[in-house]
Amino acid sequence: MKTIKTLLIAVLVLACAPLTAQTADEIIANYFENTGGKDAWGELDGVHIAGSVSAQGMEIPVDVYQMKDGRQMVKISLQGQEMTQMAFDGETMWTTNFMTMEAEKSDTEMTNNMKQQATKDFPSPFFNYKDKGYQVELMGTETMEGTETFKLKLVQDPIMVDGKEEQNISYHYFDTENFVPIASESEIKAGPMKGQMSKNTMSDYQEVNGLYFPFDMGMSGQNIIIKEITLNPEVTPAMFAFPEKAATMDEDKN
Amino acid sequence: MKHLLVALIAAAVLPITALAQEEVSLKGKELFGDMRARHIGPALMSGRINDLEMHPTNSRILYAGTAGGGVWKSNDGGATFSPIFDDHAQSIGVVALDPANPDQNIWVGTGETWTRNSVSIGDGLYHSTDGGNNWTEIEGFEKSERIASIAINPSNTSEVYVGVLGALWGDSEDRGVYKTSDGGKTWDKILYVGPSTGAADVIMDPENPNVLYASMWQFRRTGWGFNSGGENSALYKSTDAGQTWNKIHNGFPKGELGRIAVAVAPSDNNILYAVLETEDKSKNGLWKSTNAGQSWEHLNNDFGLTVRPFYFSRVTIDPRNPDIVVKGGLNGSISRDGGKTFKSLGQMHSDIHDITFHINDSDVMYAGTDGGVYRSWNGGTTFEIVENLPLSQFYHISVDDAEPYNVYGGLQDNGSWWGPSSSPGGVEARDWNSVGAGDGFRVLKHPTKNIIYSEMQGAENVWRYDVDKNRTKTIQPLPKKGDPELRFNWNAPMAVSHHVPDRFYMGSQFVHRSDDMGDSWEIISPDLTTNDASKQDQSKSGGLSVDNSGAENHTTIFTIAESPLDKDILWVGTDDGNVQVTTNGGKTWTNVTENLKGIPDNTWVYHIEASVHGKGTAYAVFDGHTMGDMQPYALKTTDYGKTWTNIISDDIQKNAFVRNIQEDYENEDLLFLGTEMGLYVTIDGGSNWSHFTNNMPPVAVHFVDLHKGTNDLVMGTHGRGVIIIDDISPLRELDQEILKKDVHFFETQPFVMAEESGFGTSFGNETQFVGGNKPNTARIVYYLQKRHTFGKMTMEVQDMEGNKIATLSPGKSKGINVVNWSYNTKVPKMAEGKTLSFGGFTAPRVAAGKYKIVMTKGKDTYEHVVELKYDESALTTLAERKKQEELTQTLFNMVEELAYMVYEIGETQDKANEVIENHPKGKKQAEKLYTALENLRAELVITTGDNYVAAAEPELRERMGELYSNVAGSYDQVSGAQLQNFELISQEFEDAKKRYASIMDKEGKKFMNFLEKNNLEKPSIESKEEFLADD
Repeated sequence: MKTIKTLLIAVLVLACAPLTAQTADEIIANYFENTGGKDAWGELDGVHIAGSVSAQGMEIPVDVYQMKDGRQMVKISLQGQEMTQMAFDGETMWTTNFMTMEAEKSDTEMTNNMKQQATKDFPSPFFNYKDKGYQVELMGTETMEGTETFKLKLVQDPIMVDGKEEQNISYHYFDTENFVPIASESEIKAGPMKGQMSKNTMSDYQEVNGLYFPFDMGMSGQNIIIKEITLNPEVTPAMFAFPEKAATMDEDKN
Repeated sequence: MKHLLVALIAAAVLPITALAQEEVSLKGKELFGDMRARHIGPALMSGRINDLEMHPTNSRILYAGTAGGGVWKSNDGGATFSPIFDDHAQSIGVVALDPANPDQNIWVGTGETWTRNSVSIGDGLYHSTDGGNNWTEIEGFEKSERIASIAINPSNTSEVYVGVLGALWGDSEDRGVYKTSDGGKTWDKILYVGPSTGAADVIMDPENPNVLYASMWQFRRTGWGFNSGGENSALYKSTDAGQTWNKIHNGFPKGELGRIAVAVAPSDNNILYAVLETEDKSKNGLWKSTNAGQSWEHLNNDFGLTVRPFYFSRVTIDPRNPDIVVKGGLNGSISRDGGKTFKSLGQMHSDIHDITFHINDSDVMYAGTDGGVYRSWNGGTTFEIVENLPLSQFYHISVDDAEPYNVYGGLQDNGSWWGPSSSPGGVEARDWNSVGAGDGFRVLKHPTKNIIYSEMQGAENVWRYDVDKNRTKTIQPLPKKGDPELRFNWNAPMAVSHHVPDRFYMGSQFVHRSDDMGDSWEIISPDLTTNDASKQDQSKSGGLSVDNSGAENHTTIFTIAESPLDKDILWVGTDDGNVQVTTNGGKTWTNVTENLKGIPDNTWVYHIEASVHGKGTAYAVFDGHTMGDMQPYALKTTDYGKTWTNIISDDIQKNAFVRNIQEDYENEDLLFLGTEMGLYVTIDGGSNWSHFTNNMPPVAVHFVDLHKGTNDLVMGTHGRGVIIIDDISPLRELDQEILKKDVHFFETQPFVMAEESGFGTSFGNETQFVGGNKPNTARIVYYLQKRHTFGKMTMEVQDMEGNKIATLSPGKSKGINVVNWSYNTKVPKMAEGKTLSFGGFTAPRVAAGKYKIVMTKGKDTYEHVVELKYDESALTTLAERKKQEELTQTLFNMVEELAYMVYEIGETQDKANEVIENHPKGKKQAEKLYTALENLRAELVITTGDNYVAAAEPELRERMGELYSNVAGSYDQVSGAQLQNFELISQEFEDAKKRYASIMDKEGKKFMNFLEKNNLEKPSIESKEEFLADD
């Protein structure tokens, strides 16, 4: 009897779910509810994502730190050399020059775009999106990754691109069955691919202390496979801060 | 959390219920998963542009509405473009931006408006409110076919006027000028003249939005003629926002008028220019009004202003100077004296349809032509082409059996070409070769010789080109004594024989056969057409302006198909609806037209595909669009045309008329349909069809070929160049059984590990289109019944003993997934230095043989075996290759051994440092050890400098890595120099190892003793296995 009851409930829920979740807000609410609860997401102070990217026979370790206060850092390791690919300490955004292996500041425009967005995008731009001044619109359902999804349009604060203000719009596809995002699309704003759409995918959702995260994230065809996610990781200011040249020189002498 | 659990349970239950309930659908987007089309252009000649639109305030942004390739947007002043309209009809009439919100609100009217014989159709009016990312179709315009104009009130942008030119091949009451006052929700038709007269130009006064001008044009095309002009053509003006309209013909000649172009000067709203087509040739051309249309003065009837009004009817006025006027035309014309005199625009592709000026600088101009978009920086004297608009309009394509195979085809107004399906660095403009002039149509490779046949319009020239000798001969069939005049279609059919290599067919109203590659011809049929004389007089075609280009030649043979199973079976289809077949090489012909089912009389037989599955089996597709019938038609016969079966289902759009069909060579139920609205695929013989939309816009597919060697589906599109779907063989296997499985790996032929190491370059790629290559990899193809979203799913390659060889990223889509493996295993672990050792980025290739693909999905594991083969064109013998593989492995091990040694040294040095800092007693010994090790380390790896010009001299790691990389990456036998170098490096490494051992024996031993005595821990050194297993 119990099995039959569960079956019935399951079928009912399945049949009703896409119908009842008509609004964007309901879809977002379901997403947070299904992946750990909105309160738990709100309490999160930061994440450390440890994973790797496979490319031409190399497995390149990648470490990503994202903090509630907007600080973030991406570090890769090549032949034992650790390189900060991108870091932002709340004020300064910087990268490592591949030729000199030394830190260089990102340009002001990019830094300012990061500044206005970084705190708002954690843990997700959809989290309390109205308070952030973002707009969300349900565009309807669409087949994505072969599966039926709700398509949500997200409008974030405009950004500056090569001296001109541009809209910051992205599209997010939530699986109609379980309300987790499985893909997103946004227009590439700069560089040689400017004007084209880039697509990200998310799969292999797994639980980490009660919260669900995708453990496989595809970015324009390149996947980052996540090995471990640590919630509220221990960090030091130095991890995000731009290393002054003098300090680097000293290290060299050692 | 609770919800998720329930959802998960539900998901687990679902497959069971689905199995019990119904059959899995054999159609839909999910069937194709991530099988994606790739585009190879070419873009070097681009394609026809219908309309250009400038952003009103941001000079970086402009749009191109193309004749057959959708809407493209440039963010960089026209240097590069991206497509933004790939989900909808690709034939575009007009693009308009909301003056108040031009970044977000875009209007697109579909259906090209320069009404040549080969134009496609649109399917309505579209609106985007997010800068072109999403489009909504506006209700009420579904049957508009061609939208020529959109005018928006700048002070109230909810007020929009739309000029519907309408149907080209029939009457339509959908024509006329429409208006909305609520941003597109409701519309009123505010100007309608009659079912044969459409709205061409609808423009708004720049100062007063209540003042509008509209030119109405009476026109009609048939399969055999064109008519421009009539009593209903007129120029109208409204001063009350479209409520009432009056003709403004004061000064115009009496009698019938044709197409009228009209423009108002942005800087002076009293000045209008109009271009007229009239009964009196001397009054054709440019007219000017200086009083807002109250009266007109004739200024100029130069060729450039009067040529082909149906094709060129755009006047553009400099936004800052009303005396600078530009007119589209064969070459385009520009006046700087208010229209009195004109000179040609600078050299560019001929047939200029639209011209625009930069919003701030009139020296900068853009032109839309039959050969793409051009930019001028000097007021129209010099033009340069935009190089990344792959809009080429193929009439036909074919392929050869080269590796990689080449694609051949002819283009609207852009000649004939052949180019590779893949090329080092991608398929670039410079990879394409010209093989014809004028308009290009069919291009065929001789089956065995390096000879190409090509043609120009109406078989005016048919060329036989000897590629090796670079010689061309003209070989079209010529009339001999007693022959009637030969009638060739504009797009005249050619065919090569599968059975007799030098045999070549052409069709006029007769079938012509040559057995010597076109040197001599024999007519092997009677007139196979209806020979309807009423459709054969093209001398008066055109209407007010005669236009007898040959494009309207009719009652001709259009398709010839020789059976791949029997050289004596030939099928012929004509443009006036006949299907004829011979089974004895042309001795007798049977007209089977009467047996066709559901095909209106005289419907154009666009293509016949003679089947490999039976001598009597063939497919025929019919295209009625030149009679105003856009319905899809395709029939199949298995008895030489005695009976036919309809193979079209309701899945195909109602306006997707069919131009081509391609059968699969193995699975008779697998068919590909080329329609005006893209590609459709069936896996059940036509009961269900699925629209293929993965990176495939609904572009007109004029020809489809299936390459036998690779199973690639190659499409010649009329607006987006050549589009390829790599290896469609998985579709052969798909059936109910497979669709019901959770996971299914498709069988694949052994993969040949292609050995190529040429140079690709990227010169020019910043702004040039580069076509995607076919991945030169093992393709692992599998079907997932459900998208994988929760839990781990991984894939790796193992050898048959289960040792891990490589990690792959599996696709997780519902439907078909394709994963590529480049035959590489992993890179060696390199010794750590101050800089990177680039030799260490090479991963060895695996040896030929069988490998297991192991997919882990949750708790389940799925295995699939693939086989790899060596390239037969290899430079080496098998024995030499084995030596190369052995040396690669030896060097790989050596590189990792060095890495471990450097790691050990580092760990020991760390310990020494610890002692130096904390234990004064042991400092001296520790320092000795540290220094000895550091001196050694400095010779093993680079310890100073950077990755660029401050790089230090290469040390052992760099030299060893370099040799490893060269040996591993080579497709040739190990060279003598490499062997000698290996000897040297091995010796150096041996010496280093000895030196290391002796340091550890001397300074090391003392240091270890110190540690032991003082109860200090020894350096914690991982085993080599542990070290190598780390990231």
